[in-house]
Amino acid sequence: MLRTSLVRSRAISKGAIAPVHRPQWLPAPRQPFPAVVGQRYYADVKKPDGIILPGSQSAKADTEDIPSPPITVDPRSNVEKETIQADNIPLTPPKPEDVTTKPLASSAPTPLPPMGTGTATVAPPAGGAPPPPPPAPKKKPRRFRQFLLTMMVLSALGYAGGVYYSLVSDNFHDFFTEYVPFGEDAVGYFEEREFRKRFPGKEIQTKLHEQVRGEHKVTIPSRAGMSWKVADKDEKKGSDLGSKGAHVSAVEPPKPASPDAHASKPEPAKPGAKESTPELRPESKPTPQAAEAPKPAPPAALIDNINIESATEPVVQDVVKIINTLITTINADNAGGKYANAVSSAKDQLQKVINDINTLKSTTSADAEKKIKNAHMEFDEAAKELARRMQNEMDSQEAQWRKEYEEERTKLSDAYKSKLESEIAATKDVYEATLKNQLLEKEIELQRQFAETVRSRVESERGGRLGKLENLTEGVKELEDLTQKWNSVLQANLKTQHLLVAVEAVKAKLETSPIPKPFVEELAALKEVAQDDAVVNAAIASIQPQAYQLGIPTSSQLIDRFRRVAAEVRKAALLPENAGVVSHVASQLLSKVMFKKNGLPVGDDVESVLTRAEILLEEGGLEEAAREVNALQGWAGVLARDWVGEVRRVCEVKQALDVISAEARLQSLLVE
Amino acid sequence: MADSVATPPASVIKPSRPMSEALLNDKWDRCLSSMLIRSAIGGGFGIMFTFILFRRRAWPVVLGTGIGLGRAIEECDNSFKNATAPSKDGLRVLRP
Repeated sequence: MLRTSLVRSRAISKGAIAPVHRPQWLPAPRQPFPAVVGQRYYADVKKPDGIILPGSQSAKADTEDIPSPPITVDPRSNVEKETIQADNIPLTPPKPEDVTTKPLASSAPTPLPPMGTGTATVAPPAGGAPPPPPPAPKKKPRRFRQFLLTMMVLSALGYAGGVYYSLVSDNFHDFFTEYVPFGEDAVGYFEEREFRKRFPGKEIQTKLHEQVRGEHKVTIPSRAGMSWKVADKDEKKGSDLGSKGAHVSAVEPPKPASPDAHASKPEPAKPGAKESTPELRPESKPTPQAAEAPKPAPPAALIDNINIESATEPVVQDVVKIINTLITTINADNAGGKYANAVSSAKDQLQKVINDINTLKSTTSADAEKKIKNAHMEFDEAAKELARRMQNEMDSQEAQWRKEYEEERTKLSDAYKSKLESEIAATKDVYEATLKNQLLEKEIELQRQFAETVRSRVESERGGRLGKLENLTEGVKELEDLTQKWNSVLQANLKTQHLLVAVEAVKAKLETSPIPKPFVEELAALKEVAQDDAVVNAAIASIQPQAYQLGIPTSSQLIDRFRRVAAEVRKAALLPENAGVVSHVASQLLSKVMFKKNGLPVGDDVESVLTRAEILLEEGGLEEAAREVNALQGWAGVLARDWVGEVRRVCEVKQALDVISAEARLQSLLVE
Repeated sequence: MADSVATPPASVIKPSRPMSEALLNDKWDRCLSSMLIRSAIGGGFGIMFTFILFRRRAWPVVLGTGIGLGRAIEECDNSFKNATAPSKDGLRVLRP
């Protein structure tokens, strides 16, 4: 049944994927025939050719389905078979129940399809048998299961809700953790997770208490803490203060008391043991047993290991311990009667052993004494021998040392002697050498003194002669000076002569030449002769360069030119200032009819000035004539300008020459 | 050669400046020549005018020569008047 339903569902799913729209409009015409509901899917699968128009479908339905309702069953079965074959699923043979219920089963799937429309169509199953609900028999087991399930779900939900709410509110958290079982664990787990999420690096510290986690459970004993008892009396004893007080005086009353004594006994025993045998430790342990001895008195007495003879022997003590243990065991078993003989014999044997030990001790001590005596004797002899040998050795060594000492002394004395001699020789040599040196020094000094005396005498003599010579040289020098002076005088004379000659040359040149000639060479010679005579230089500098470059006219020439100039000046004599053409013409004309003056006329007019100048010129007064002409004004002055300049140049040259000649004369006079 | 070298300075310097006594004569020469030329030019112009414009009348010729002469005299007078004063060539004139 399940399988069929599965198959169907598969088919449905297949069909559902491909044509989605169909269910929307197909069911409408079919709704009146719900028996075919299942069929439509299979029809879809089988015949994919169907574009079914609503009208045609209804017609088909009318023809096929409606008139024969019983047939509907058959086609279903056929359909089912076909579908199975199509899927190629090998089917198990259907059970008789299933076969019988097949029509029912076929109707059963109708509620199954998961589609919403399918369920809707199920409701009115007109053609099909009434569906007997198959879950009905299952309901009984399911109820319990469902109840369980619901309970589990509810509880899980409750837990979840509780945990969540407890995480949210503190109040509920307290309640939840307190009263709900495992609630605390659950909440703790979630809290821890949250904490880890927040702080991934940190160590996890669970909020749960250690007791809850089951760690470090400390059980405090019931007697823990302080008690009301006063325990200051037994402070020295220390260890057992807490326990009951009766044990303190346990030794004095021999109590048959059982286990308490075990702990209490050691205390009194220890002091006793310390008094008698302080050196042995093992004793401390047997003491309790020894103290126990009185306790099982009726069965068999223990051996007192302290009072026993030769108790100091460890062997004896061991034996006693063994026997005591045996006795105690026997006593504990209350088999004293049984082993009484054995115990007594053991005790006797012990006695015997002790005796043996004593005898052994005595013999050994005697032997030892003997041996010691012998050893003493031997040692004495050996010591004597040793002393003797030492004496011998010392003697021999002393002798040897003495010999060596002698040898060494002689050696040393020899060495020192030799050294002394050598040193004496050395000092002698040194002394002689110093003496020789001194002698040499003396000699040298004497020689030097001699040389000095000789030199001084020679020098004194030579000094006399040299003095005469020096006088002579002085005389010679004076003569030389004189000659030099004379030479200078001669030179100065020569110079002045040269100067005079040069001046004369210049003068001759100026006077002799009929036409003006340059006298540059003569002047240069004059300057050369004068060299650095300031006066001469100044005089030469005063001459205009034009004069010596072009030469100066002679006096006759000057007079000639003056006459021409005078004629011209006379023409312009009557001109007023700023005269025009008319006045010029008038002056020219009138000047022809003017009277000429003679002699030395007085007056500033042009005529008189000209006549005076002419007379002066004729007398040889160049300077005066020039001065007269220079005083002319206006056109007369302008016309006479050139002549005046010439005269001035001549005068300058003459003056300079006069100065130079005077200087030359003066120098010739100064020399004398 | 020596003579040629010696002579030039004398010959060179002399004509550079006219002698002072010849100044007035030079002026007279220049005046007369200018008078002549200008009167001649004026007369020439007058003659030209008479022939071209005035039917061979005499007065244009006289007028022309008169103008030329007058102009020449004027120039001459000017030259005579300012000759004596020291020349102001190369000097700057400060005008008020």
